[in-house]
This record gives sequence, C-alpha cells and structure tokens, in this order.
Amino acid sequence: MSNITVDGVTKEFGDTVALRDVSFSVPEGEFVIVLGVSGSGKSTLLRCMNGLTSPTRGEIRVDGTPVKDPRKDIAMIFQQHNIIGQMSAYSNALTGSLSRTGLLKSLLQLQDTEEKYRSLDALDTVGLLDESRQRARQMSGGQQQRVGIARALVQRPNILLADEPVASLDPGSSQQVMRYLRQAAKERDLTAAISLHQVNLARKFGERFIGLRNGELVFDGYRDEFSMDVIDEIYGDIDTEGMFEASDDENADEQAVTK
Amino acid sequence: MSTDTAADNQTKTERDSRLQAQFDEIRRGRRIRWLLTGLGITVVLFFFYNALYTTELFQADLPRYFPAFLDALTDYFPFLDFSAFPFVDPGGFGQYWSFIQERNLIYNSSADLTDPSTGGPFALFGVAGLTLAMGFAGTILGFPLALLFGILGSERVMPFPFNFLFRGVMSSIRAIPALVWALIYVPLGGLGPATAVLAIATDTVGNLGRLYTDELEEVEDGPIEAMRTTGASRPQTIVFGMLSQVTTPFIAWTLYIFEINVRIAVTLGIIGGGGLGLILSVQQKLFNFTNMMATILVIIVLIISVEMFSQRVRSRLRADESPEGLLTLLLGFPRRMAESLTK
Repeated sequence: MSNITVDGVTKEFGDTVALRDVSFSVPEGEFVIVLGVSGSGKSTLLRCMNGLTSPTRGEIRVDGTPVKDPRKDIAMIFQQHNIIGQMSAYSNALTGSLSRTGLLKSLLQLQDTEEKYRSLDALDTVGLLDESRQRARQMSGGQQQRVGIARALVQRPNILLADEPVASLDPGSSQQVMRYLRQAAKERDLTAAISLHQVNLARKFGERFIGLRNGELVFDGYRDEFSMDVIDEIYGDIDTEGMFEASDDENADEQAVTK
Repeated sequence: MSTDTAADNQTKTERDSRLQAQFDEIRRGRRIRWLLTGLGITVVLFFFYNALYTTELFQADLPRYFPAFLDALTDYFPFLDFSAFPFVDPGGFGQYWSFIQERNLIYNSSADLTDPSTGGPFALFGVAGLTLAMGFAGTILGFPLALLFGILGSERVMPFPFNFLFRGVMSSIRAIPALVWALIYVPLGGLGPATAVLAIATDTVGNLGRLYTDELEEVEDGPIEAMRTTGASRPQTIVFGMLSQVTTPFIAWTLYIFEINVRIAVTLGIIGGGGLGLILSVQQKLFNFTNMMATILVIIVLIISVEMFSQRVRSRLRADESPEGLLTLLLGFPRRMAESLTK
C-alpha cells in the first residue's frame, strides 16, 4: 500500500501543454478513475506517475519519494496490452517477476517455484488459469488485457496504474476487465489509478474521480459529488467546446508571452 | 452578323494565344524530356560498348569457337543424340549416374554413421554431405557473433555513435566476399574444408548480423515500455521487450543464411575447400565435362533440398500453425514439399 502525491505537475511537449499545474493526492488503497476526452492529458498523467516520462515542472511522489524512473512497486497496464505475443500467457505473467530474478535465470525461465505459482495465481485471479499455456497472440483482446493485468499483479506492486485498459474492448469484455481490476486492487490492497473515457464504466466502478480537460484538473471528488454537471464540466458541450478551446489557447499564448 | 464574327474571331485569337502558349510550353517540355532520354540512352550505350571492349568480348571471337562449344555440349549432355529422332539416348543418363555412384557424390552406402572422423551422419550423403556440413558448421559458428553484433548494431540497444562501431565491422566483413575470406584464412587452416568453414562463419557474422539489426529497427515500443515498468534490468528489457518480438524472423533469417552458406560452400570447394566444389573443379580441369555436369546435377539436388527444407520451416514459422500430429505431418509431406518448390 502506498499513497501518491501529484504536486503541481506540468508537462509540455514542445509548444503543446499536455498537463497544466495538476495537483491531487491519493491515500492508500483508493481506487481512482481518471476521466477525460482523448487528448485531455490522461495518458500523460499516468506516464508521469510511473516514471516513463518525467514532468516538465512539478513532482510526483510515492510514499514521499519522487518518481524518476519506472519502479518495480508501480505496475502499469497499457491500452495496447503490450504483452509479448510470441510467448504463452504464463510466460507473460512471469515477466512481472523480472525485477526479482537475474538475467540468466529469467532467460532460462528458472525462476523460483514460488514465482511460478504466483504467476498461475495471478492468471487465476483474472480467470485465465486454463488458458495459461496458450500463446498470447492467439488470445482475444479481452484475454490479452487480462494477461496484462496478471503480469502487473505478479510484479507485486503497491500501486496499479492502467492507461485506458478497456478502450479497445467491446462493452462486455470492458466490464469484465474492470471487474477483475477492481477485485485485484481490493484483494491485494493496491492503490489504483485507472484512466477511462467511458462515463458509464466510470460511474459503475469508480470510488473517486479525477476529471481532466485540456490538461487541467477540472474535478476531484468522490462518488456522491460526481453529478451530471460534473460530467458536463469534464466532457463539455461539443458545440461550445471549440470556442472554449480557442479562448484557452489565447490565454495560453498571453501567459507564454508574459512569462 | 459581321460584328459577331469579328467578336468570335477576336475571342478565338485570344483563346488561341492562351492555348498556344500552353501548347508550346508542353511541347517544349516534351522535347527536353526526349532530348534527355536520348542523351541518357547514348551515355549508357557508350559505357556498355566500352565495358564489352574492356572485357574482351569482341576479341573473344565467339563464332569461331562455337563448334567447339557444341562439342562440349554433347559432353555436358551425353544423352543428346543428334543422329536419330527423338535425339535422346537414355543410356547417356547412365554416365551421370555411374560417376555419381563411383564417387559417392550424394549417397554413401558404406558410411559409418557413428564415426565423426568420416563425417558421422553427414557421411550418408557422401561428398554432398561434406559440402552440407561446411555450410552448417559455418552457420552455427558465425551465429553467436552475428547475434551479438546484430543486437549491438541496433540504435535502440546501443546509443548512436557506438552502434556504428558494430555496424562498421559488419559492413567491412560484408565488403569482403567469402571467397576472399577463404584466401585470407589459408595460412591458418590450410587449403581444405576447415578454411572454408572459417570463411563461411566470418561471412555469416557480416550478413546475418546485418539482417538482425534491420529486423530490430521494426520492433514496437510498447512491450519495451511494459518491461521497463516491471522494474526489469536493461539486459532483461532488451531480451524480453525487444528480442522476444523478433525470435520468429531471427530464426527465419538464420535459415535463409544457412541456405546461402551451403551455396558458398560449393564455391569455396572450387578453390580447394573440398566437397562437391572440388570434384567439380577437378573434373573441369580434366575436361571430363560429363562428370562435371553430373556433379552440377548433384549440386542442384543438394541446394534445392536445403532450400525446400528451410522454406518449409520458415513458412511454418510465419503461418504460426498449431502443431500438427505426426501422422498428418508425414501424409502431407509430398504436397507441402511440392508447394515449397514452387514458391
């Protein structure tokens, strides 16, 4: 169990500002959903949180220590699964234990029996025990994503991050994957941050919600505060969105000039 | 009426001049293009003529020697009989076969399969077995260095200036043909199969390593990032994030290079490396053209067999078929071989 503090994080890619001064903190064991439209900065936020990229300004701390590089106590689940198609579901899950195994041992798959059972247990958690010997490439999208979750669990992290884990799945598989995610986080006392763009899924599974819009934090609250107005605030009215963006951009330009 | 025609004429001349201008422009452009094409062809022809002259093709007096070549042809193909229709004498094939049998070119019935000094299982294929062994040993010997250089030559593993060190070594190796490598190794391994194997191994490092490097450029970032987030070390990230994505193409390229290496083994035999190449060159020097052609036939059989084998394995790897039962594997063998042949 770990807590996360996001402290004034700004991330710029050249002229584009992906995140603008975002701050919030997540206490131990909370299940947080990060909401926003495509391009609102969800992915950038999560990639900053696990150290795949570092923020331009600001800092992210886990249990008080700043995150600089990917760490073994922070597991990540990707939208594109990023599992290794060539290998079996079991071998993929086992790669979660790489940080605890030497190169040669991991190469020859000579991990401790303990780790091997842990992989099978993780596959069981996501309902894929019987498919563990199947090649990952031959599995369905939903199954592949569940292998990704199993790998993250074998890592034995304190924090579970997931970047749009269900974006490329059908509604049924989406619900299933979300259910496995929440169940795993509960059982193993993980602090979790999941980014989503589907409001219905967010409402169904979320405890706490972080709303991002154009890289800015527009909502931070719990289930009872997550109303229709908030959803409008996050997703905006499509018709007016363009205008808001334009004025935002102007402001950004002015800010850039005055700086 | 008359004013109308005048106006018509006027617009016509106006339009004409505009069209005319465009038309002239197009014609000019086309003329220039024709001129340039003509110039290009002239330049190529000029160099072609000089190349022919330099290579003494005009001085060779081909027509004078053509009858002699025809004579040689009847030696090459002893089954050709121009005296009577259908111009084929089946007995001629016997000459090929008797030489192949006499020298154990492709099959050695008295081979001791357990004695490595005579070639072990390779001895079963007689002289062809030696050529095959040269290609095989060279491929396996060159493989580890090819893998190392191939991986370290990739920019995604080795940062920019350093990866070029390994690429440069591979390029230099490739710049020198295997035949020349064999000449270089003669003082080390003598004139024989050992030198040929060393040359093939060196050649493999340059060529196979290059194919590995190219393949690694295609690797996707996703799995690499995923391995980083598990807290894997850098070597582990390279092995699991990158190499695991390319195992299938790596195996396929290795088989492809094995194919080429058996062919190189034939060439190196000609300069003294032994095997089919040596028999070929000796028979050629003795002007035993029938025997020479018999050896060439064996070479064709050997190379095509190796090609079919590697083609078969590669297409199986690519197709990602689920493993079949042994029975279906055996029953489907002729059809699949035929398919590989025509690929």
